[in-house]
Amino acid sequence: MRIALPDGSKLEIAEDGASIEVILKNLGINPEEVIVAKNGKIVSEEETAGDSDELKIVRFVHGG
Amino acid sequence: MLDDAESRRYSRQTLLFGKEGQEMLKRTSVFVAGAGGLGSVISFYMAAAGFGKIRIVDCDSVELSNLNRQILHSNADVGRPKARSAYETLTGINPEIEVEAMVETISEDNIGDLLRGSHLIMDAMDNFSIRYLLNRAALKGNVPLFHGAISGYQGQATTIIPGRTACLSCLFPRAPPPSTFPALGSTCGVIGSIQVTEAVKYVTGVGELLENRLLLWDGLNIAFDEVAYERNAFCKECSDVSRSDRDAMRG
Repeated sequence: MRIALPDGSKLEIAEDGASIEVILKNLGINPEEVIVAKNGKIVSEEETAGDSDELKIVRFVHGG
Repeated sequence: MLDDAESRRYSRQTLLFGKEGQEMLKRTSVFVAGAGGLGSVISFYMAAAGFGKIRIVDCDSVELSNLNRQILHSNADVGRPKARSAYETLTGINPEIEVEAMVETISEDNIGDLLRGSHLIMDAMDNFSIRYLLNRAALKGNVPLFHGAISGYQGQATTIIPGRTACLSCLFPRAPPPSTFPALGSTCGVIGSIQVTEAVKYVTGVGELLENRLLLWDGLNIAFDEVAYERNAFCKECSDVSRSDRDAMRG
């Protein structure tokens, strides 16, 4: 599974169907601070992802 | 109808959308939620573009630390309500439009009154609590909401059209933890300009809007990116599914 992290770096991990929530926790990322796109589309934390998927983790902002 | 002065004022943009498009802008009333970093850019460009009525609301007074980015306000305005300098700046840019600048805290109690008569909602807030309020009001009033947010070199924007796109709560089901955010004027410039561009396109009916598309700005690397999103069938704000049905479906 390829993962694009909020800082722009890329990671490749072996994953056999874990939930986004678990993947974030394993990466030490607070799920409350990010939204996650799986194969280009934003998905909920309950969604699962596997080896062939591409995740993009986006730290969304709130200022104005 | 545009008079002679208006025709000259808008001559460079009527090359894009004609006098018909300009008249559409003139007939449009907008609500700008906030006169801070984003609100300054948004209202500035909307006034310049000739949106017929701008209602801008902010409860704060100008502080020195605002002046790195809040271009509606000047050094002489420190200590005064932002609404006041907002009014002066916007009417100074364009005396042809109507500007209503209010010292108000947007809340559940007054949002209905504040939005009355507005065709568009421009999100220039600095917290998700009020953004969710704007989202609910947009859905209730069937009024498009142009979302924007910034932090440091980073920003995001998307366009919410009730009945046509997902809503803000579909996209951001929960607010991020509160934090003091770094703020650079030029980031407000990028994102605020995008929000205004979206509004102009929506009103004049051209181009592709950021519908179900979240635009991401990375100013450190000068790069745009985007991710798609869709309606959440169980969204507590825009879904027709009741809470009990939602719980039952989830088993």
